[in-house]
Amino acid sequence: MVIRIAAVGDVHLDEDVLGRFRPALEELPGSVDAVLLAGDLTRHGTEAEARCVAREFGGLGVPVIAVLGNHDHQCDQVPQVIGALEEAGITVLEGDGVVLDCPGGRLGVAGVKGFGGGFAGRCASDFGEPEMKAFVRTTTESANRLSEALRSLDCDVLVALTHYAPVPDTLAGEPLEIYPFLGCYQLGQAIDSAPTALALHGHAHHGSERGTTPGGVRVRNVAHPVIKQAYSIFHLGDHLDQGEVSGVAVGGTQQPWS
Amino acid sequence: MTVTVHSDAGSPDEYVEAEIHRLLTEDPAVAEQGITVVRTERALVLHGEVESANRREEILRRVAERFPDVQITSDIGVIRTQAPTEIEQLP
Repeated sequence: MVIRIAAVGDVHLDEDVLGRFRPALEELPGSVDAVLLAGDLTRHGTEAEARCVAREFGGLGVPVIAVLGNHDHQCDQVPQVIGALEEAGITVLEGDGVVLDCPGGRLGVAGVKGFGGGFAGRCASDFGEPEMKAFVRTTTESANRLSEALRSLDCDVLVALTHYAPVPDTLAGEPLEIYPFLGCYQLGQAIDSAPTALALHGHAHHGSERGTTPGGVRVRNVAHPVIKQAYSIFHLGDHLDQGEVSGVAVGGTQQPWS
Repeated sequence: MTVTVHSDAGSPDEYVEAEIHRLLTEDPAVAEQGITVVRTERALVLHGEVESANRREEILRRVAERFPDVQITSDIGVIRTQAPTEIEQLP
């Protein structure tokens, strides 16, 4: 049983980028079961930019599941952004999840944008000024929604999708001082509250690719500036072998690594 | 690429660095959070990667316009979008 996922975040689409990802995306049908987008799909979160995302990632013949990022909130047009993406068949998650019936089993994806706050021992607390309390409560509520969504899915392979980082491991390369703006430990705690197989996030452009939660769940930062390719491909399952990898080679993808 | 602007306002200082950093995010024509501003003895160096050559040019244009007396050196790349050549297997 193998579930095959392509993932990328932080593509920041607008007219000037339209078409850059498409040639690589058109290799995906038959090679993966789903495409996951880890937020910051647009530059400013306008409906026009969301339509660029819809053109670039829509109509692929592969299910596309997304969360939004902080850039996608900039112009306060979130309902219009979501509407444009959903019109193109892209599923947008925010505190909910979806289960896909794939040849290799049922893939469950739960997603939230997430928020900052920092990591264990160096994080913001729900204390003091109303602004600080509001900040930390946003973090906590988002993580709680992710936990509930993850635990609600009945599936064979469970994936958590966020924009903000759930662990500091994948922030290595970013200045330590800005870690509290890049993610929070509560997202990691939510991921560890369910039998999650993989957690994908973006947001940290100068971060690094690989990490694990304290509970041992693998975390991957798929921000486009980090992976430096159109998307990364992950195969999850118990029976991975060279033969299955070769089956993906039609799209030019050849070698496994683990 | 280097944008050389006549400097008669003295060396770049921390406040200029901070202002440029904020400009890169808050200016709607730029809106980039992934550009690092590094202060050296001779210039301010912009590091990072963007999604198009247009965006790189716009960053340099906006910074030079706002800080005409500061010498800016750019090391901003455009991120590649090729299909991956490897798969990560996660048993």
